[in-house]
Amino acid sequence: MNYVKKLVFVILCTLLLAACSEKDNSNASNTGDKSTTESGTASSKNELVIAVNENFISMDPHNTGDTNSSSVQETMLEGLLGFDADGQIIKVLADDYSISEDALVYTFKLKEGVTFHDGEQFNAEAVKANIERIMNDESLRLYSRGFSLISNVEILGDYEIKVTLKEPYGPMITRFGVAKMISPKMIKENSADIPKKPVGTGPYKFVEWVQGDHLTIENFDGYWDGGERVAKITYKPVPENGSRVAMLKAGDAQVIYPVPAQNIDELSNSKGVEVNKVPSTIAHYVSLNTYKKPLDDIKVRQAFNYAVDKDAYLKVVNAGLGLPLDSIIPSKTVYYKQQKMYEHNIEKAKALLAEAGYPDGFDIEIWGNTNSDTMKGMQFIQQQLGQIGVKVEIKSMEEGTLSDEIYGAQTPEDAKLQMWYVSWSAYASDITNATKPLFHSVSFPPNGANTAYYHNTEADQLMDEANSISDVDRQAELYEKLQEIVYQDTPWIFLGVDEVVYGVRSNVSGVQVNPTGGLDVKNAKVE
Amino acid sequence: MTSPTTMQNSQVQNTQKKYSPLKEFWKSFKKQKAALVASIFIVLLIVVAFIGPYIAPYDPFEPNYDALLEGPSASHLAGTDEYGRDIFSRLIVGAKISLMVSFSAVFLGLILGTILGLISGYFGGWIDKIIMRSCDVLFSFPDLLLAIAIVALLGPGINNVIIAVMIFSVPSFARLVRGATLNAKENVYVEAAQSMGASHVRVLWKHIFPETISELIIFVTMRIGTAILAASGLSFLGLGASPEMPEWGVMLSSGRDYLGTSSHVVIMPGIAIFLTVLAFNLIGDGLRDVLDPKIKNN
Repeated sequence: MNYVKKLVFVILCTLLLAACSEKDNSNASNTGDKSTTESGTASSKNELVIAVNENFISMDPHNTGDTNSSSVQETMLEGLLGFDADGQIIKVLADDYSISEDALVYTFKLKEGVTFHDGEQFNAEAVKANIERIMNDESLRLYSRGFSLISNVEILGDYEIKVTLKEPYGPMITRFGVAKMISPKMIKENSADIPKKPVGTGPYKFVEWVQGDHLTIENFDGYWDGGERVAKITYKPVPENGSRVAMLKAGDAQVIYPVPAQNIDELSNSKGVEVNKVPSTIAHYVSLNTYKKPLDDIKVRQAFNYAVDKDAYLKVVNAGLGLPLDSIIPSKTVYYKQQKMYEHNIEKAKALLAEAGYPDGFDIEIWGNTNSDTMKGMQFIQQQLGQIGVKVEIKSMEEGTLSDEIYGAQTPEDAKLQMWYVSWSAYASDITNATKPLFHSVSFPPNGANTAYYHNTEADQLMDEANSISDVDRQAELYEKLQEIVYQDTPWIFLGVDEVVYGVRSNVSGVQVNPTGGLDVKNAKVE
Repeated sequence: MTSPTTMQNSQVQNTQKKYSPLKEFWKSFKKQKAALVASIFIVLLIVVAFIGPYIAPYDPFEPNYDALLEGPSASHLAGTDEYGRDIFSRLIVGAKISLMVSFSAVFLGLILGTILGLISGYFGGWIDKIIMRSCDVLFSFPDLLLAIAIVALLGPGINNVIIAVMIFSVPSFARLVRGATLNAKENVYVEAAQSMGASHVRVLWKHIFPETISELIIFVTMRIGTAILAASGLSFLGLGASPEMPEWGVMLSSGRDYLGTSSHVVIMPGIAIFLTVLAFNLIGDGLRDVLDPKIKNN
């Protein structure tokens, strides 16, 4: 009897559970159906589903480090300046701007007739509230990226504002593009909500964000620049590569980003799908510790560069995507100047190694994180250097450990790092960040990412001068020289520059990816 | 476990008809077809493990960037991997690593576990309590999780994988041997030996340990399968063999990015692991049918 009771209880429980899950399912599929039917008929004109690879972290534009979050913000929020498809600076909420010769004073004339999504007016007061929010809050990412150097914000008129720096800071102009404007009312009354539901001036306004599931935005009718847009965009984080690809093929997503390299061929051959590639500002390289033997010898470092076949690198490690890194910065970065590449030449490499006193090679360690692409890259370097007798041991470490090991070293003498397989990305318009943290002697770890411990006084001077002026022609001259010098000194094994790949349904147009990897769908249209 | 009566019987048989245990064993084992096939497979695998580097058609480390991710063909029996290396050659050379890791881990675990189990079962009392409770602690962690924790402590590397797999094998062996020891301790001949003044070591080694062997053999074969899986699993997670090694778990791990496009990169080492583990388990089953007195009695 007892047994029967138990059995009945178990069956009831199971039924109850089943009922619950069914309800959940039907709910889920209902909403799903709705969106698919809508997007199937009148729809597709009005809706866009975008599948991206990672969860969004924060919607606070002043405190965002990940590309996906800033891509979404880009649709809702605007800065005084912004970036075009090539990553170069354009004016957005600023009608005009000027920089003083000493690179200390930035003056902006603002657009008139712009309103925030909550009805607030955009004017000099609003800009001041935003800049002051950043310069007074150390916990915001942008604080330490230039805004802490602001000494004074002065309103010159309703639509004119002047920002003064304590010292010149080259990347400041890029920062004004990154710092998006939030409604001053929100900053004053409700700043805790900024990371969750921001209010800006962009063409789209925030609707809802369900962590880990989706984030929805809709067309803002009162947008100052008018224009026709899709009515609603839903972003879905889909970390699993295969699922993202399947969604695009099935039409459940109209845009996916990024397209996994191994699926490019598959998708290119699929009907109704287009795959697009864009050169990025993500440079892959191996930094060589120039402070310690054996890599302190320039001949050894050059030998490494001759030993590594860059085309094979792109083919093997990057699935055939990308371009060889033929300077110290990617080609999309401003002031880029192509250098004469170290061609693949084993004999020359061996000869250089012998000249340096290592005819039989030596043992060396390469470090990297545990990411499968990094592992692949490190193995590739191991194979390539094996050809000239250099035995490379791969040490892959979890990101946190790796960073402790590298940035834990307080002096170059302490550093145990020999080679680091890594990548770097800076805004295309921000050459300061593409050079100074990597090659300036003030940027030795732990202060910066000069993990090659590269020290060249001339290079230091070039960077210092370029950062303290606003004369564009002179800057170009200085940076050209810098690229020549550093490329010659080979603090890195120069490998490649990524291409970012995104996929869209053929009926979608106007989707762009900028070199930093940001997905721009402000002008997307669906036919 | 072994009851005193059957033991006496077999001892009687032993003296009566020139009984050869090996022959007897072979007679019954022959009937276990699956186990027999599995044993042949394992023997072949061991041979391959020894002569692998000499028979491999290609250098398992030599990349060929013009033949990336090619499917199985006449020139590359199992295709090539993401560096154009011949997968078949890598599997052959990798057999040695996989077998070496699992054998050494299991045998180390066997030795340590057996000693602990004998001591625990024979002496009883607080020694028994300490050993068994420590085993319980180890048992309370899932095998692989414990291994991951150990490797995390020791650092990645194939030797540390051996240690990790060994440590999680020890309690199983200890418990098994302890049970057998408790049974064997009750035998008259043990008492006799003790009353004649035999030392503890002698009683344990000469009279009790032999009683545990048949169960140990079964368990070892089973355990090797588990050990291969665990070692491959650890390597898959990047905690074991270094990434360029042709260890099967490593091959599986580095190939997983190509699951959708060039599945042979994953399937081939997968099959190797699968077959090897299956073979060891089949042998274990067969051995149990032959050796386990409980089953025999039934």
